[in-house]
Amino acid sequence: MKLLVCVKQVPDSTVRVKVAADKRTIVTEGITWAISPYDEYAIELALEHKDADPGTTVSVVTLGPARARDALRQALAMGCDDAMLVTGAGAETLGGLATARALAKVIEEARPDLVLCGKQASDDDQGLVGQALAETLGWPHVAIVTKFTSVTGGTEIWREVEGGHEVWKAAGPAVLTVQKSEKDPRYPSLPGIMKAKKKEIPEKDVSSLIPDLASPGLEIISLEPPPVRKAGRVMKDGDVKAMAAELAKLLRDEAKVV
Amino acid sequence: MTAPTQGLLAVVLALAAAVGFGISGYRVWRLYRYMRLGRDEDRTDQPARRLRDELVIYLGQSKLFKRPYLVRGIAHALIFWGFLVITLGTVDLLLNGIFGIHVPGTETGLFAWTIDLFAIAVLGSIALAVVRRLFFRPPRMHVAAGGYAILALIGVLMLSLLVFESAGIAAELVKKGFTPPPLAGLFAPVVRGPYAEALFTGAWWVHVLTVLGFAAYLPHTKHLHIVTTLPNVLFRSQRPRGALRPIPDLEEQESFGAATLRDLSWKQHLDGYTCTECGRCSDQCPALATGKPLDPQKIVLDLRDLLLREGDALMRDPQATGTPPAHQSDLKPEELFACTTCAACVEACPVTIEHVDKIVDMRRFLTMMESAAPPEAQRALQNIERAGNPWGEPREARADWAEGLGIPTFAERPDAEYLYFVGCAASYDRRNQRVAKALAEILTSAGLSFAILGREETCNGDPARRIGNEYLWQMQAQANIETFDRYTVRKVIASCPHCFNTIANEFPQLGGKYEVVHALTLVDELIRDGRITMTRESGGADEVTAYHDPCYLGRHNQIYDAPRDVMDAVPGVQRVEIEPHARERGFCCGAGGGRMWMEEQVGQRVNHRRIDQLRAAQAGATKVASGCPFCLIMLEEGVGAKGLQEQVQPVDVLELVADRLVGRSEGVTQP
Repeated sequence: MKLLVCVKQVPDSTVRVKVAADKRTIVTEGITWAISPYDEYAIELALEHKDADPGTTVSVVTLGPARARDALRQALAMGCDDAMLVTGAGAETLGGLATARALAKVIEEARPDLVLCGKQASDDDQGLVGQALAETLGWPHVAIVTKFTSVTGGTEIWREVEGGHEVWKAAGPAVLTVQKSEKDPRYPSLPGIMKAKKKEIPEKDVSSLIPDLASPGLEIISLEPPPVRKAGRVMKDGDVKAMAAELAKLLRDEAKVV
Repeated sequence: MTAPTQGLLAVVLALAAAVGFGISGYRVWRLYRYMRLGRDEDRTDQPARRLRDELVIYLGQSKLFKRPYLVRGIAHALIFWGFLVITLGTVDLLLNGIFGIHVPGTETGLFAWTIDLFAIAVLGSIALAVVRRLFFRPPRMHVAAGGYAILALIGVLMLSLLVFESAGIAAELVKKGFTPPPLAGLFAPVVRGPYAEALFTGAWWVHVLTVLGFAAYLPHTKHLHIVTTLPNVLFRSQRPRGALRPIPDLEEQESFGAATLRDLSWKQHLDGYTCTECGRCSDQCPALATGKPLDPQKIVLDLRDLLLREGDALMRDPQATGTPPAHQSDLKPEELFACTTCAACVEACPVTIEHVDKIVDMRRFLTMMESAAPPEAQRALQNIERAGNPWGEPREARADWAEGLGIPTFAERPDAEYLYFVGCAASYDRRNQRVAKALAEILTSAGLSFAILGREETCNGDPARRIGNEYLWQMQAQANIETFDRYTVRKVIASCPHCFNTIANEFPQLGGKYEVVHALTLVDELIRDGRITMTRESGGADEVTAYHDPCYLGRHNQIYDAPRDVMDAVPGVQRVEIEPHARERGFCCGAGGGRMWMEEQVGQRVNHRRIDQLRAAQAGATKVASGCPFCLIMLEEGVGAKGLQEQVQPVDVLELVADRLVGRSEGVTQP
């Protein structure tokens, strides 16, 4: 089986994100980048399939600036077979729909049996690319996937629903957007890391895939951090009764919860 | 006494000796070949210290006399020393029996007295050993038939020696110029008579043949330690105990850690041959004591047994890899990951076996080759990779604790004399931030010039290295070394024993050589120099405070006294010990070896056991002081879980000092 995983490089979850001076972007200087967590689960799902069936190949593709190459190295270190970087001027700020169109071109050429994406990226949480990709390709799409297996005549796909799961079957190629599943993404082995370092990662220019990078255009008008939380108050010393009265007053007048 | 081996009998004896030593030699040769399947490792550095160890640990039997093993230790030492003297006598007997010659010196009174005294002392010790095994067997000791066989053989040797000596005296067979054995002589009148000479001949043969049987049997048993302890002590590691073995040229390697028996060093295999199965290591293991699947003695013996099982196959085919040690049927990865690397086993071992290195080598294989570390450990590794700390706290928040305290960074004050390496725990853990502040306050009050690295500091990699990820450790250590060198740092203070150990003992492996001091050693010196003045807090009785030894200060770096001296210098603090688990026998808090970040679901929690010990010591402690942020976290958790917050308060020794500083500015040590 030929699997292709689309990943996005995002600021690592340990990074304290700060809005840049232009109020439209974040400060990227000195921050740690990582594969978006749901994309990591998509890689893990693909690699588990490969573990069970060694005939499987897992390709990984990302669209982004040059630094996104590190995300591909990480995916290779985890055990993916090959990787491709779609980059070039404008790649960093490309909108979701245009990203899906560019990725669709890569997929049409690679002709995988299944495409896996995380259900959404952890930076903007839009959850758009996977679905737009299915639409552009004209492929079926199954969302919130936690498991899939090859069966006669296609692929059985498990998706999470409230209180249980549904099992779907895809007869031909499909796009799956992956949910967090039970097994955490694997930690790369050192031989895996060493091998990944030596692997060639071919590049494609984004403008060779889609002629018009700007259209259809969505623009970020402004970014705003959440308001700073006020420090809590500790009532320590004093008469217990008076403190209780004070607490009740604060809860009613200030916090407005009682 | 002339040997009863005239003519043909001398030839018979020579043949018997050839058979006995032949069987023995063949076995030893095979064991040696198996051992050499291990990788090369140079253990010839520091010859002077090796010689000293040989005299003190081997000949002096020093590690046998530790509490609580003193009586048994003395009994063992007597058997051992007796053996040395008696071996000389045995060599003399054989030479005399076969070639009719004597070893010079055996005619003297000194020799006669020593051999007799020791023969009786050994008999006494044998009796003690048998009684102990039969009636007072400690649970850790697994007594096999082989153990009794050896004791019986030694017993027969001593008895037959005394019998043939006294019969020889009775039959007036003592040669001219030889001192008659004085104690055996006391029994001579008993055996005087027509059969004395026959008794002498019989006992003599029994003795000599038993010696040869013993020689043939010895290398098939754990009593081979009689022979292997000598090289095992000589070739013990002379690295600082806290330093793990580096993997050089990591990027050029294809296999990491102990993937096969060939990846363990020859010395690690020699450890297996030397194990006496005494179980002292298991006695001291905090993991075993709290019901975890780890047993350090079993690890050593499992590796030895695997070598004996697969040695032949590995020798036949140089390409064969055999079973990975961490996957042999007897050994489970859970055992290996239960280890806190506290080194209580290494400290306890009388024959200098290095348990922790083996465990880490197998962890390296599991973690780096197979990605098989426990998931929580992998998360800690990933956090170190991405955020520079095992908790996954933001990199940018590393110096938040110091905000507004006026502590300079090296960038702001590049001429500072000392670097205070804060470490992840004191940077991010709220409780330990108070310790960092306490130290900053003490250093400022003593007028020391110091600075921190602020956000440029990153984890030194101790947990990564001990979980088995040597690669990540090297990257983290290298990153810090580069930062240190950019600011030409020369002196480093660490308040965390793990940071201290890694920077002092392991950074030099990567070329980072600094003068490193643990905060408590430094504060001890500052107090001695009169640079810190403390005042007694307002009135009241002394605070009874127990000291808990952090493993990486104590056993790994032999810093036992400095923290105690500091506590003794603090006015209003009365120091007590958590007997008997203090100093070398200090009990781990459960957080070392990366265990801080792993689940602990089997058995009792190690830190809860430590709190039990604190209570059982009945020293009346209302505080328990340590010198390690992880110990502090673990002690706090233990006290909290047991609902003892009102009775015992865990603190860092540094806080005791800071609280009593003269001219202390209120509020600085409080969050």
